[in-house]
Amino acid sequence: MIELFNKYKVYLLVGLSLLAALIFYSLHLKNREHASPLERSVMNVMAPASKLGSAGNGFFSGLWSDYLDLVNVRRENKELRRIIKLYNARETESREALMANERLKSLLELKTSTQVPSLAAGVIGEDGSPWFKTLFLDRGAAEGLQEGMPVVAVDGVIGRLVKVAAESSRVLLLTDHASGIAAVVQRSRARGVVKGTGDGRCSLEFTLRDEDVKVGDVIVTSGVGGGFPKGLKVGEVTMVKKGAYGIFQTVEVRPAVNISRLEEVLVLLQQTYD
Amino acid sequence: MIKFVKALSIVIAVLLLQTTIFPYYLLAPFHPNLLVIMVVYLGLRSKSPFGALAAFSLGLLHDCFSGIYFGLNGFSYLCIFHALHKTADRLYTDSRYLMVLTVFFATIVTGLFNMLLLFIFSAANGIYATLLSSLIPQALVNALIASLIFMMPASVVAEEP
Repeated sequence: MIELFNKYKVYLLVGLSLLAALIFYSLHLKNREHASPLERSVMNVMAPASKLGSAGNGFFSGLWSDYLDLVNVRRENKELRRIIKLYNARETESREALMANERLKSLLELKTSTQVPSLAAGVIGEDGSPWFKTLFLDRGAAEGLQEGMPVVAVDGVIGRLVKVAAESSRVLLLTDHASGIAAVVQRSRARGVVKGTGDGRCSLEFTLRDEDVKVGDVIVTSGVGGGFPKGLKVGEVTMVKKGAYGIFQTVEVRPAVNISRLEEVLVLLQQTYD
Repeated sequence: MIKFVKALSIVIAVLLLQTTIFPYYLLAPFHPNLLVIMVVYLGLRSKSPFGALAAFSLGLLHDCFSGIYFGLNGFSYLCIFHALHKTADRLYTDSRYLMVLTVFFATIVTGLFNMLLLFIFSAANGIYATLLSSLIPQALVNALIASLIFMMPASVVAEEP
């Protein structure tokens, strides 16, 4: 018997161990959803180590992915900056186009409301000296412009053409010292000549002392002399001074048009107005 | 020929700057007059027999883009050129400070010549106040620009036309 046992000891022990394992397994089948005390102990022991390992794993994984990201991030950053610049430029362009559209729309309204044939022109430059006030337009004799033609904007009179070349021309602004426009006070019909004072303002000259002129009065072209059509807005009275002597009063006029911000103007193609 | 084309392109660039670019960014009395700087350069450093013609042409070019009085700056620039050209031999014209100072005074003298001619020949009453008030700011700005230009190495500064 002992001999037989010794002969098959190994197989027997293996069989017994397998049986024990099977029994152990079958015993735990009933509570398979609950951790056994052994399982719990092992889990408790391993949990911190697992956490640490997991964190380390995350760290190394992050390090690797961050490194990979870094490789591309500079290029991506450059590309994004370029795109942002592009979008900024496009936004500025569209805003400019929107504003140009508004200005041109109002110029078109003026063009349709004016009885006289007219031509729109763009401002391309200003006077080379600070004491003269002229503007350059991008239209000239080739489009039918001639010296003396009135130039207006949406808000009122700007001046008249003085030097016309084939493809460009110059406007003598109403604020230049050499400019003179026959005008009347819209309310009282007091007459005078609007002359430039060179500092962006004008004065209404040769208005008799007894004439009724008040601050805030609107000055319009009188049509006298035929240089400008009647009734175009020139400006607004900002100061009236009547000295003790003299037959004229001093009237300061603020031009209706902000000349420093002009971009488009309308040239009236008729030279004389009766 | 190459010199002439080079000078012409500089003059065109200067005119563009003066009439289109500067007025867009700077207020009226502070627009620099680069043509005066060129005239001063011609007057002090030019050995060309056409210096006077060049100065007069620069003045006429200025008149094409300024005011309504053609020949006003032509005359003024010619006067400035002759005055500088006659005294250039007695001055240390390589000095940057002299150039800057001369540009300052040349701007003022040009303005005064303009005023004198307008007084004699035109009916632009009241222009004197505008002109005189703009003169000093413009002279200062011109001097500043001249100091920047003449700070460049001699090879960069334009040759005379």
